[in-house]
Amino acid sequence: MIQNHKELTARTFVDVHAIQEELDQVRWGLHADGGGSEAAQHAAAEARASVCNLIAVVGNEPELGAISSVLDRLSITNPSRTLILLAQHTREADKLEAEVSAQERTESGHRVTTERVVLHAHGEPARHLASLAAPLLIPDLPVVLWWPGRPDFDSPLFNDLCELADRLIVDTDEGFDETDLTRLLGVARRKTARASIGDLNWARLMAWRHTAAQFFDMPGMLARLAHIHGVSIFHGSDGSTAQARLLGGWLRSRMATVGIDVPLELRPDDSHEHGVCRFLIYTGGDEGIARFSLKRLRGNRLLTQIRLGDQDLSPRTVRLESRAAEELLGFELTLPGHDVLFEQALDAALR
Amino acid sequence: MAQAVTTPITQNILRDGLILPRTPDPAAMVIFGASGDLTARKLMPALYNLALNRYLPSGFSVIGVADTAISEDEFRSRVADAVQKFSRTQPVDRAVWQSVAEGISFVRMPFDDDGEGYRRLAAELDRVDRERGTNGNRVFYLATAPQFFSVIIERLGASGIAKAGEGWKRVVIEKPFGNDLKSAQALNQAIHTVFTEQQIFRIDHYLGKETVQNVLVFRFANGIFEPIWNRRYVDHVQITVAEDIGIERRGKYYEGSGALRDIFQNHLMQLLSIAAMEAPPNFDADSVRDEKVKVLKSIHPIDVATDVVRGQYGPGWVGGQEVPGYRQELNVSPASNTETFVAVRLKIDNWRWADTPFYLRTGKRLPSRASEIAIQFKNPPHLPFAKTAVEELTPNWLVMRIQPHEGASLKIAAKIPGPVMRLRTVNMDFFYGSSFMVESPDAYERLVLDCLLGDATLFAREDEVERAWALVDRIEAGWASQPPPAFPSYAAGTWGPPEADALIDQAGRRWRRP
Repeated sequence: MIQNHKELTARTFVDVHAIQEELDQVRWGLHADGGGSEAAQHAAAEARASVCNLIAVVGNEPELGAISSVLDRLSITNPSRTLILLAQHTREADKLEAEVSAQERTESGHRVTTERVVLHAHGEPARHLASLAAPLLIPDLPVVLWWPGRPDFDSPLFNDLCELADRLIVDTDEGFDETDLTRLLGVARRKTARASIGDLNWARLMAWRHTAAQFFDMPGMLARLAHIHGVSIFHGSDGSTAQARLLGGWLRSRMATVGIDVPLELRPDDSHEHGVCRFLIYTGGDEGIARFSLKRLRGNRLLTQIRLGDQDLSPRTVRLESRAAEELLGFELTLPGHDVLFEQALDAALR
Repeated sequence: MAQAVTTPITQNILRDGLILPRTPDPAAMVIFGASGDLTARKLMPALYNLALNRYLPSGFSVIGVADTAISEDEFRSRVADAVQKFSRTQPVDRAVWQSVAEGISFVRMPFDDDGEGYRRLAAELDRVDRERGTNGNRVFYLATAPQFFSVIIERLGASGIAKAGEGWKRVVIEKPFGNDLKSAQALNQAIHTVFTEQQIFRIDHYLGKETVQNVLVFRFANGIFEPIWNRRYVDHVQITVAEDIGIERRGKYYEGSGALRDIFQNHLMQLLSIAAMEAPPNFDADSVRDEKVKVLKSIHPIDVATDVVRGQYGPGWVGGQEVPGYRQELNVSPASNTETFVAVRLKIDNWRWADTPFYLRTGKRLPSRASEIAIQFKNPPHLPFAKTAVEELTPNWLVMRIQPHEGASLKIAAKIPGPVMRLRTVNMDFFYGSSFMVESPDAYERLVLDCLLGDATLFAREDEVERAWALVDRIEAGWASQPPPAFPSYAAGTWGPPEADALIDQAGRRWRRP
């Protein structure tokens, strides 16, 4: 397992060619012994590992530390070339700073090195950071754009980076309102600068979706799926509804594939402040009435219960993972192409 | 309001896009040997981790069976301690464990009980069906010593438990499955009087390992390997399961087993099958197992005198520690002729592999622990570089490492920088760990879940087991006709007896040092 994780070098540059040269040096381990010996090159080549180019956009300097920490931890499971872009349009003087560094860790006796570039631009260069990012990417690897806060959907930087990226990852839990969700869906559907979209908030719903689907894996329950006549979702009392909307949108979009329109009720729940708290599915039909319920418990657990008529089946307690940002990002990075289910859920959530 | 259904629902549409296995039916797992080591170290931790990750259905229940004087509460407490100690995920989530523990009960009885005990077991199963909705679905897990397999099966049949009522019934049997072809056939016959082949799940935990499954993915999900995976390009194949440990406290078992039965008959035969098999049309149980059996059927009859080497370790040094020889181990005869090392040269008589030797070896107290499939490719027929002879080149090797350092390496020639054309061999490495730095589930988690789902792909089929035993019997018969071996024949901490080197050296080849 991982034995260490350390910073190798950190040097500052202002010219794209100098950055590229430094990246090559870092990547092939030429700094390791100061001379770039054959042995050092061989060792570095053995240790090289990258699954993607990851571009993260940071809104301000205080965020930089937190985002860097997430990316540090992410590099353990998803070694990548990482570009962190900090664009500050408000400063008057044009300025561009770049810092190149490498992280090294040892896993099962083998050294793995990944590289990171922090690009800090002020003034006019801040609007054209995408042009600087493009030549710094490793060829033939997917480009993932992580936008940790609410994006400015109209900014040229956002659109340029979307054009560069194969995938855009946001977190709709960062205060996305209905307009933001609509704009986000638009990114996946537009003809130019179109990236597949991913959402950490959607990834957080995996356990809810999995457990809800399991209800209908049970013997005799599949027939009840066709008789879902209502869904209630209780969400935190802090007013954030994006997660509840997505969960409801997911169920509605799945049921729409068989021509069933499911009414959705969203309600605040005072017992929790944030996120989905309870998810209730009501069915009727020839099999009789039933209620399938998922309830978030303290300590990151889910309680699943089924009531058939007036009979309760064995309840079950399972883990509701509270995943850190790097874990959610890591999961999103494993998804190939468009996450059609998410896009359909988002679409249904907005209807 | 809900509209009328326009498309009939034939599958769980809420499962679309979920990258997770489907949920097993509610079931009761009856573990025979519930107070034993396997239950504590492997089965209960596996069940807990499956529950933790939402893979177990509501109502899933465990009924422990053992002839141990403990109460049900004591049994629950024991398995809770075991999960606490051996679960790969820590700390143990008390609420999730509590949810699992509510479905655990215990029936005390000897496995060969002739009536009362099995009646109590039947009554307990009825209660579980009634109260927890398991609907007659049952897994009978035989985590006992092999001598109890037949009697438990017979009692399950005689008591009606194995066939009663609705729901599916499955039986899981641990290795060793028999001791030779005759006993394996007898055991198969005994089981078949109660269970059909589709109900039988013979575990070889090697098949539950992620990296063993990855060999199949490596071969059949990449277009670049299969075209050269044959006699035209492959010089030979080496399959190694090496252990640096001795027999620990298993002297009694090992004296009756030896390396041939302990590792060769199962793990090595499984690795051989998946390395040499043809691509199955799909990944269902019979398609995969059909292809594996075809490999075993195609093994050319071996000449034990020339194709097999056995050895036994003497005292030596392993990992900087002085260790005793096999004959000095606990519960081992000082004159024992049990083999702790086997090397076998095999040929497979089919179009893909004709005349391509497969060298298999396994041993205890070797210098390091390593399981791997290594393929040596033939040298290029001609080298255009004047000062380098073809013979000077190190051949291309593709090595799939099962454990440790799971992954794959390709050894290739490259030019050494400089004005002179000089070649050197370099490795291209894929490390499973550094590419997917997530903790792999334990093999038992995968296999128990597959059994609950009724998927036997990663379990050995009757004909597979019997083919492997037939080969072992042939080797045993050959040894029986030879004079007693001069054991010990290799020092602990070395790579086996010199005869093993001679076995492979006949064609100018050498064993890899994994």
